[in-house]
Amino acid sequence: MDKNDKSSKGQQGININVLKQGLCTGCSACVNLCPSMEYYKDKTILLHDCNLDKGRCFTYCPRAPTDFEMLRRELFDPEDMVLELGSFKGLYMTRATNENIRTGAQHGGTVTALIQLALAQGIIDEAVLADNNDLLLPSAQPIADEDEVLEKARSKFVVSPTVSAFNRISRAGEGKIGVVATPCQAQALTKMKVNPVLEDKLRMEKLKLVIGLFCGWALDWRKFQKLMKEKAGDFKIKGMDIPPSNHACMEVYTIKGTIKVPIEEISNCVRDDCSYCFDMTCEFADISVGSARSKEGWDVDKGWNQLIVRTSKGAQLLALAREKGVLEFKKVPDNNIEKLKKASARKKHACLMNLAQKTGNWDDLIYIDSGDPVVRHIRGMNFGQQ
Amino acid sequence: MLEAKKDFEALLMGNDAIARGALEAGVNVVTGYPGTPSSEIVEQLAKVAEESNLYVEWSVNEKVALEVAAAGSYARLKSMCVMKQVGVNVAADSLLHIAEYGTRGGLVLVSCEDPGALSSTNEGDSRPYAKMMEFPLLEPGDFQEAKDMAKWAFELSEDIRNIVMLRSVTRLSHASGNVIMGELPKDRPKAAFEFSSIPMDQMKGPILAFPTLVDPLRRRQLEKLSKAEKIFEGSPFNKYTGPAKPELLIITSSVCKLYVQEALDILGLWERVGLLKLGTTWPLPSKLLEQHLGICEKIFIVEEGTPFLEDNIKALAAEKAKQVGIKTFFGRKDGTLPPVNELNPDLLIKGINFILGESYQFVSDEYKAKALEIIAAGAPVRELTFCPGCPHRASFWLINSALKLDNRAGFLCGDIGCYSLGAGPCGFSTIKILQAMGSGMGMASGFGKLDKFGMTQPIMAVCGDSTFFHAVIPALVNAVHNRSDMILVVLDNSGTAMTGFQPHPGSPSGAIGTRLPVLDIEKLCNSLNVRVEMGDPFDLKGTRETMLDLLEDGGNPRVLILKQPCALSPIKKGQKMYEMAIDANLCLADLCGCNKLCTRVFKCPGLIWDTQKEKVRIDEVLCTGCGVCADICPAKAIKA
Amino acid sequence: MGKKLSCDPYNLIIAGVGGQGNVLASRVVGDMMIHQGYKVTIGETFGASQRGGSVMSHLRISARGGFSPQMPKGKAHMVVALEPMEAIRVLATYGNPKVKALCNTRPIQSVGVICGDQIYPEKKHIIQWIESLCANAGFFDTTKQALDLGDSIFGNIMALGALAATGDLPMPLNIFKTVISKKVVPAKIATNLKAFGIGMELIKDKK
Repeated sequence: MDKNDKSSKGQQGININVLKQGLCTGCSACVNLCPSMEYYKDKTILLHDCNLDKGRCFTYCPRAPTDFEMLRRELFDPEDMVLELGSFKGLYMTRATNENIRTGAQHGGTVTALIQLALAQGIIDEAVLADNNDLLLPSAQPIADEDEVLEKARSKFVVSPTVSAFNRISRAGEGKIGVVATPCQAQALTKMKVNPVLEDKLRMEKLKLVIGLFCGWALDWRKFQKLMKEKAGDFKIKGMDIPPSNHACMEVYTIKGTIKVPIEEISNCVRDDCSYCFDMTCEFADISVGSARSKEGWDVDKGWNQLIVRTSKGAQLLALAREKGVLEFKKVPDNNIEKLKKASARKKHACLMNLAQKTGNWDDLIYIDSGDPVVRHIRGMNFGQQ
Repeated sequence: MLEAKKDFEALLMGNDAIARGALEAGVNVVTGYPGTPSSEIVEQLAKVAEESNLYVEWSVNEKVALEVAAAGSYARLKSMCVMKQVGVNVAADSLLHIAEYGTRGGLVLVSCEDPGALSSTNEGDSRPYAKMMEFPLLEPGDFQEAKDMAKWAFELSEDIRNIVMLRSVTRLSHASGNVIMGELPKDRPKAAFEFSSIPMDQMKGPILAFPTLVDPLRRRQLEKLSKAEKIFEGSPFNKYTGPAKPELLIITSSVCKLYVQEALDILGLWERVGLLKLGTTWPLPSKLLEQHLGICEKIFIVEEGTPFLEDNIKALAAEKAKQVGIKTFFGRKDGTLPPVNELNPDLLIKGINFILGESYQFVSDEYKAKALEIIAAGAPVRELTFCPGCPHRASFWLINSALKLDNRAGFLCGDIGCYSLGAGPCGFSTIKILQAMGSGMGMASGFGKLDKFGMTQPIMAVCGDSTFFHAVIPALVNAVHNRSDMILVVLDNSGTAMTGFQPHPGSPSGAIGTRLPVLDIEKLCNSLNVRVEMGDPFDLKGTRETMLDLLEDGGNPRVLILKQPCALSPIKKGQKMYEMAIDANLCLADLCGCNKLCTRVFKCPGLIWDTQKEKVRIDEVLCTGCGVCADICPAKAIKA
Repeated sequence: MGKKLSCDPYNLIIAGVGGQGNVLASRVVGDMMIHQGYKVTIGETFGASQRGGSVMSHLRISARGGFSPQMPKGKAHMVVALEPMEAIRVLATYGNPKVKALCNTRPIQSVGVICGDQIYPEKKHIIQWIESLCANAGFFDTTKQALDLGDSIFGNIMALGALAATGDLPMPLNIFKTVISKKVVPAKIATNLKAFGIGMELIKDKK
């Protein structure tokens, strides 16, 4: 086969249309399916050439041409569709009732509480979570024990090989699996679930829950690690956060205290492929969770989460959480939906601009169908001077 | 064949004939560094070292080999130093000084060259050294001459008291023909180095290359060259065959003589063409040449390598233009013969016909066309590959994987040995630079210093164990001292595998088989105070971790020694580590999830893709049971 | 000197793949000829033979000698191929309408074939191709008989037996015995003689 065949639906297609285009997000959907693709640090690596003209790597890749509208139809109730936010059954502000969870978690501990609940209730037998062993370079681990969930609870700014870990355990074990996923990872899982290649049908039935994470971008490990070495030296990093502010900084918490890194320096470390992302709120999940925003300010907000319920399964889980008292709720400020829609649309618009700039053609958006209704909606919006 | 009696006629390989010639000359000290097509000479002499009272050594490199042989000569022994063409470049500095001073016991340098680069990375021609450094050069034209001229080279060396180069080529060294044996001498000389006289006393003074001595030394050297030329004028190794007034005079040397003879036989042109075959090609026998240049206007110079004879005979013809007249020259420079690659009788037939305006066709175009059609359909090229169970396949698998995973466009500088194939498909095209012995490490040392110019690619170099000793040590020392950011991977397969397991300083015995101290590569590297890791290329998982960790640990030179004996090595041959088996039910074959990784990518010849069953199977005969493919199979279908 | 050669020089090519005992076979023929007073030149390409490459020996047998170790193109009188694809390769360069061939039909697959990149041609095609390039071709598969003798490598000696049976070259059994006795360990002499004998019968059966 011609090595430069753009129409390949196998590894060559991935290489030409995704890796070489700089679109790969490191979601790791193509890893642990075959020996030719591997994950190292935070990158997907084409280790051995494969000449098959069709492959699961291409089929599941969220950056290979994807019919998102079809995925939405398969996964969600058309009644729930909100163009900027995806399927929407409600927006909530929540936090874990258990204070231990909140202390150990990044913000309100909602994800941790929900996963613990799903495990305890037998909704899932195993959860795939990004590991916490190395904050700069998370790996992904399956967890079956509720208490262990807490140990994985902090935000990671570098992508973790979550889908590859799902691939591994879904091929091996028998149990029901839940995954905490970034938007690209959730998209990959959805492509797998909706349209599995024959031999993956059985294992995809094991996927019972996807809790999505809002995501603006991820950092490139090599660049970020270099920056952290400059800023924090050899001090152990306990955590990181980016509080909302007009003079935004990343706060890096070390045993020596907090180091503030100007956001421009962090921006330089953002993965290039994130600028081609069409999804901020993790639309292809049962529940999507992000940080909270309110008039009470960051000191209060940082102890809370904002949460979108997308599927009835998500709604049931949230209801169960309320019933069991594992989550506390508070009223969502009135204009939060609009703010969220605007932020999400902004990201979508930037993505489309960047893709169109790459191809020089608004009708060729590489992996996104230019006729997609959301695309058409976003293109029609006026963002003014940005 | 080396024990054969006088007048016995035997089928000898060119290299055996040279070895026999050296024995007939009474050689005492034999040194060399292995290299195709030269290695058999030292090997044959090593076999008879004991009964013939020889000292034979495989030296660490060609320069040292020449120095060791020169020591023999300075102690009044007959010494021979053997190498392939590239080795002469390594030895060149010492060669210049040895030639300037001269010799005591006979000293012969044998350079076996490889026109057409049949098993080399170049077509090096060492003959210009003879002119540049002013010593005699001999080129045998057949198997008998290989023996006779090897013997005569020692006599000539002792006659003029200087080093003599004997140049062979692959088609002589590795071809065979009838050779009639001569007498083997019985005398056993005693070695001693004398330094009692003044430096200019060649046989008894100290041997000193002082600036003040250069003038008299070079004058003496030129006198030796003149003496050699006088001897060459009457040498039976220079021979004219043909009519007194030919239409065309062909001047040739080396094995080309056989090509010309064959071409003239086939064309039936002996009546019209004369052949002057030269065995002594530097200094040129000018009177002999003057005499023959005079008999004919058209001169066709036929030689393997660069236009060495062509240029020098043209210069001579210009000098003697008054006596010999104006000539028209044909050769490699005017396109009568191709400017590169080895010659053969067909090229000679074509060249001679071109000059004489004749034509010749033996096989019809129809037959040729049919043959071409069939070969295109029926005989795909046999690609070179690593042997089944070769540790290099696993090593390159690892290096290739590590560099790809590391994902910073890192690359591998290669070196000379079996592992040069690491640049090809069997080594996953991992090597990106391949030149001379030791140059991979030297260049890695250089690339590793380019960070200040924004170069961020990780640099790796590989070398074999023999190459490590031969030329890598100085380059590694350079990298350590200059703090170059690179990784040297030593592929230690316990011997000089490419050329047939000659020992090296890391081996427990030498050429003759005596036990010798072993130099430990790990200890040597540790003494440089750099990070040194050991690994087994067959331990894919562990060694990959080590490699990835070394790649992250930048800033300084690091060394990884991958130890696993060659699959053909005497210590391993015939023993299987594992009995491999296939579970065909588990084999994913060409499905997504594997796509024949073992046969399509890993490509060990011990694994066969069964096109009927569409599964992999083990070739029981070829498989050496190294077990590596079991770790490569993603479905665990290959079991060790 | 033995009986007169059918041609002078008699141009023989022995072709095969590394590991088939090609070099030994050519040396045995060479020594047998020298033993009878002929002049022989053998040109060999075995630089990369251990690594799966094609191996080819050019034998030039003559009463007067002085022949090139590289045979001129199209000049072979006989091609002995230990592997069928190698027969085609050799015939394409050194063959002519009068050439004869003796060919072991058991293939040794190249890396390209092993890994599925290339397809090894079918036996009937190979035979057809070889016959179309030769005046006379004999085919045999010695693998089984050689393995019965203990090693597939005895196929090389069997091929020499077949060559002897053609009568094109003077290769009497007693001279084979003299020569092989100097080349192999005493324990193996009998097996080699047996292999030579088997080889002498190979072609008679077929044609």
